[in-house]
Amino acid sequence: MSVNPDTYGAFLTSSHDPALTRRRHRRDRLGALAVQLGTAVVLAALLSIPLFLIASLVAWTPLPEGAWAKLGTLFAGTVKAATFALLVAVPLGIGAAVFSASFASPRFRGWFKPCLEILEAIPTVVLGLVAFATVAPWLKGSVATLLALVVAVPALLLAGGFAFGARTKRIAGWLPLWILPVLIAVIAILVAASASRAPLIAVTTPWNTLLIGLALGLAAVPLVFSIAEDALLLIPSTHVRSALALGATRWQALVSIVMPAARSGLIAAVVLGASRCLGETMIVLMASGNTPLANFNPLDGVRTLSAELVLGLPEAAPPGGAYRLLLLAALALFVLTFTLNLLAAQARARLRRRADRGALA
Amino acid sequence: MNAAAKGEAGTWLVSGAAAVCLAAMLALLAWLAFAGFAALWPSRIVDLRLADGRDVLGEIVASSDEALAVRTSERDRLGGGYVRVVRSMITARSEPEDAFIVALADGRHLFGRGDASVAAEVQRDSGSPDAEETVWPNALGFFGRAGLFLRHAGRFLATSTPAPAIAGGVLPALIGTVTLVALMSLIVMPLGVATAVYLHERRGFAASLVRGAIANLAGVPSIVYGVLGLGLFVHGLGADIDRWFFADRLPVPTFGAGGLLWAALTLAILTLPVVVVSVEEGLARIPPSLRAGSLALGATEGETIWRLLLPAARPALLTGLILAIARAAGAVAPLMLVGVVKLAPALPIDATFPYLHPSRQFMHLGFTVYDAALAGPDALRGVPRAFSAALLLVAVVVALNLFAIVLRNRLRERYRALES
Repeated sequence: MSVNPDTYGAFLTSSHDPALTRRRHRRDRLGALAVQLGTAVVLAALLSIPLFLIASLVAWTPLPEGAWAKLGTLFAGTVKAATFALLVAVPLGIGAAVFSASFASPRFRGWFKPCLEILEAIPTVVLGLVAFATVAPWLKGSVATLLALVVAVPALLLAGGFAFGARTKRIAGWLPLWILPVLIAVIAILVAASASRAPLIAVTTPWNTLLIGLALGLAAVPLVFSIAEDALLLIPSTHVRSALALGATRWQALVSIVMPAARSGLIAAVVLGASRCLGETMIVLMASGNTPLANFNPLDGVRTLSAELVLGLPEAAPPGGAYRLLLLAALALFVLTFTLNLLAAQARARLRRRADRGALA
Repeated sequence: MNAAAKGEAGTWLVSGAAAVCLAAMLALLAWLAFAGFAALWPSRIVDLRLADGRDVLGEIVASSDEALAVRTSERDRLGGGYVRVVRSMITARSEPEDAFIVALADGRHLFGRGDASVAAEVQRDSGSPDAEETVWPNALGFFGRAGLFLRHAGRFLATSTPAPAIAGGVLPALIGTVTLVALMSLIVMPLGVATAVYLHERRGFAASLVRGAIANLAGVPSIVYGVLGLGLFVHGLGADIDRWFFADRLPVPTFGAGGLLWAALTLAILTLPVVVVSVEEGLARIPPSLRAGSLALGATEGETIWRLLLPAARPALLTGLILAIARAAGAVAPLMLVGVVKLAPALPIDATFPYLHPSRQFMHLGFTVYDAALAGPDALRGVPRAFSAALLLVAVVVALNLFAIVLRNRLRERYRALES
């Protein structure tokens, strides 16, 4: 940082010149006014979202026939898609966060975090494209393979831990990089072995909720990861060290001390992940088939509030009942995500306050 | 089973979760790079002789265990040359050196065998006046194909087309994306920086209200911002502007329909929290001694902020801008409500006064991905093109994010230097 010494000189001499001082103070007031004006615009813009949506409720246009049933179906579809996405995002996101915060070597963390930030930055329209055009044709005939993978990979990991865990302590901080090639090999073998078989489980449509769960879940992983990791890192390491000194293993210290202490942060991670999945649009729009069904079968398609907004609003004219129904859908989505965000923010703030007070664990 | 072994198994399980995340990211990027480039790589022309005596000349565009889909000459219309060939019917398959492909300016492909004069004849018969290129891909070596690939990539980046979902280049979409993001940055940066300065300088009810609004509205889904843009900007503000200033053109809307300005405003609101949070963080990192020193030397509050704090926080400003741009470039859903179209008649920025046309509809790279993959008339062409456009989009967004990450790390080191 370099500060031009001439500038200081100007400040010093100017105080002897009343006209210049007046001008400087006037400029100061103008600047403060501009800042306040800008902030007011920002506040108005942000508050206009809830105000606009609530105001549109008051406008009295009769809703079309069966509007509430339609909204209910869309709501159920939204919750269904988000539930399956969370089944993917929560284990992956929280598992990766636990590893990164408690076991990873600092250098591994140093580039693992940016990797997930890049994953977060990938536009969801691209994830939707890959799900729609690449994963869906494969998944159509390979639901059983996917289930086998979901069972086999954790089982293999547990078995690997039991068998080689004691001997791999030296590389524990970099373990994911050693697991990665094995993982890819296992996936490749299972996929290749089942490639030419007839599908064991038939799907109604290639663009089903299982696919949405995978794509949407992957999109939510970075968010869940970063919130959960923040929470775990807030727990002072003295707790862990005292537990280790008393003879606990690192895993015991994690499960019985760190995770309970960081509980509200971990819950916030899940809640924010849910909020993200509920409102995500492009993935659902491209890869869900957009069939309005109110069931919980993962092999069926789904239609969500967000997809309905994109598909319906360009055709709906402002004062009509259809338009009002869509605004209701937007309001429902807003209230849902806003409430979840508020809850998560409170949980995180509570955790942070307790960490600052030193009152954790 | 002792506690130590159980612990090791647990460690392996969470390492596995991290490994799966890495694998998914690598697979995604690798597949995008492969599919995006493969769509522009020149394919070979095959000559299939069938059991019933027919002869099929064209490119294989899809294959399954039982059958192949072959794109043969499109004599009448784009997408009119697909043939399904059952594998068991094929008696002979060859890749003749003299097979050529004539790419017409309207996107149609014609195939034939022979030398340049035959190709010229094929083109004359097609009724289309101009060909984009005539090549003999089977006769080309690796470097010849690489050159052809570069030419295709250049054309994809730098030309425009009447049918963006199936043929030609994405230049208008690229220009639309860049113009939109630039306009959004012009709107969001002053507002975001002003708000960050306000939050940095003031405490009290108003500041906590702004802080709360920013924190809680950052997580609202982007589609809700799109609804706001449509309802408030397009149908509200836009309709009013039309009534006051463009009444002579009604009922044809000027600002009362989706357009560049409304899209930029919507994205600006969407990205405000990103800018405010990162600028405020940058301001908070500046050691208070700098500020105290400036005030002690007689500078006013405003001079301290304008000449000292904001320049010192320049990297944070840049980080905020880059993150906002990356977020905006990837947001497609809200744009679909406020003015993005699959084919815009004119660019939003051109050489006629007033150069920037804020009421015009525009094309967007992200929307081109969606449109080519799902809404195009020719899926066998659209999906590969969607991958190429997606690769371009991801390259831009990831490059911006990497830049922001590097900048952020530099920033941290710099403040560490300031504090010592």
